[in-house]
Amino acid sequence: MSQTDCGTIREYLPDFAAGRLDVGAGKVVAAHLPNCAECRAELDLIQILLAAPPAVPATLVHQVTTSVRTSRRSTRRPWWGISAAAVAALALGIGVSTDRPVTIDGSVPDFASEAEEGELWLSDDGLLAGEPSFDGLSDEALMELLEELTSEGAG
Amino acid sequence: MTDNARGGDAVSDGELVERGRSGDDDALDELVRRHHASAYRVARSITRLDDAAQDVVQDAFIKAFRALSGFRGDASFRTWLMTITANEARLALRKRSRWNESAIDDVGPIAVDDPDPAEQAVNGQESSRARALLETLPEKQRLSVSLRVDEGLSFREIADMIGSTEGAARVNYFHGIRRLRELMV
Repeated sequence: MSQTDCGTIREYLPDFAAGRLDVGAGKVVAAHLPNCAECRAELDLIQILLAAPPAVPATLVHQVTTSVRTSRRSTRRPWWGISAAAVAALALGIGVSTDRPVTIDGSVPDFASEAEEGELWLSDDGLLAGEPSFDGLSDEALMELLEELTSEGAG
Repeated sequence: MTDNARGGDAVSDGELVERGRSGDDDALDELVRRHHASAYRVARSITRLDDAAQDVVQDAFIKAFRALSGFRGDASFRTWLMTITANEARLALRKRSRWNESAIDDVGPIAVDDPDPAEQAVNGQESSRARALLETLPEKQRLSVSLRVDEGLSFREIADMIGSTEGAARVNYFHGIRRLRELMV
């Protein structure tokens, strides 16, 4: 098998290990593995990771469904559901509004617009840890780097 | 993964989204049941804190369902939700660091509530050790590995989530895997 083959196989390994690969592709990977110690070592690592997925708290579903329903109920409140205090304030011409929008669907700002200061990766510890940034590299440079990564130690 | 019905699910995500748009709370509950685990793993991978990740997942679902009318279906609901979750997790981290200047310690290499990788190695818990070491990687590498291995996302989908090109997502993944193999030796 050539190094290029290893590169392709390595892309499939997570799906192969998790049983997500279709039969045809699975056979290609299975045929490659006996001849390639590097790919087998990488598969071992992926299987080790898959053996201990992060545990999801058992109460999370209930917690989320409850808070979603509560949130939807509160945002469905019709105009006559505003508080007595707000009615009184309106009557007095103070102009107090409800704390929630009256109509919901489609009126809520898109989540992305709530990113306050634009740079969502400010928290990226990579900036602190000296993580290499690949985003500014050209396609050619990325391909070279990828070639290097997927061929290291292969064969 | 597409919006078609996932293995064993009689109703597709797309249908549930449509029903959710029409005010069907049960449909939304089903979407939560299907995707809360993936959302949690994404949030956990970014925040590295269990309690923060749970809050993030709650907020992400609430925001996603509020914005459901704007969901065009270009991506699967799952990928869309995971992108919202990733953004929420980053915002949560930023809020924490604003609230407490020393919060940088909270987002250090290893979560404070996790066992020491060295200790886990002594115990021979190889998988737990691999997970702990994964958390020591820079965020984009960590997330690329987690999204590819745990969630089965394509590099295109990962790129959208981490805000990079597909090539950069691929390089981040292979860098992460290589580093992890070095650390595991």
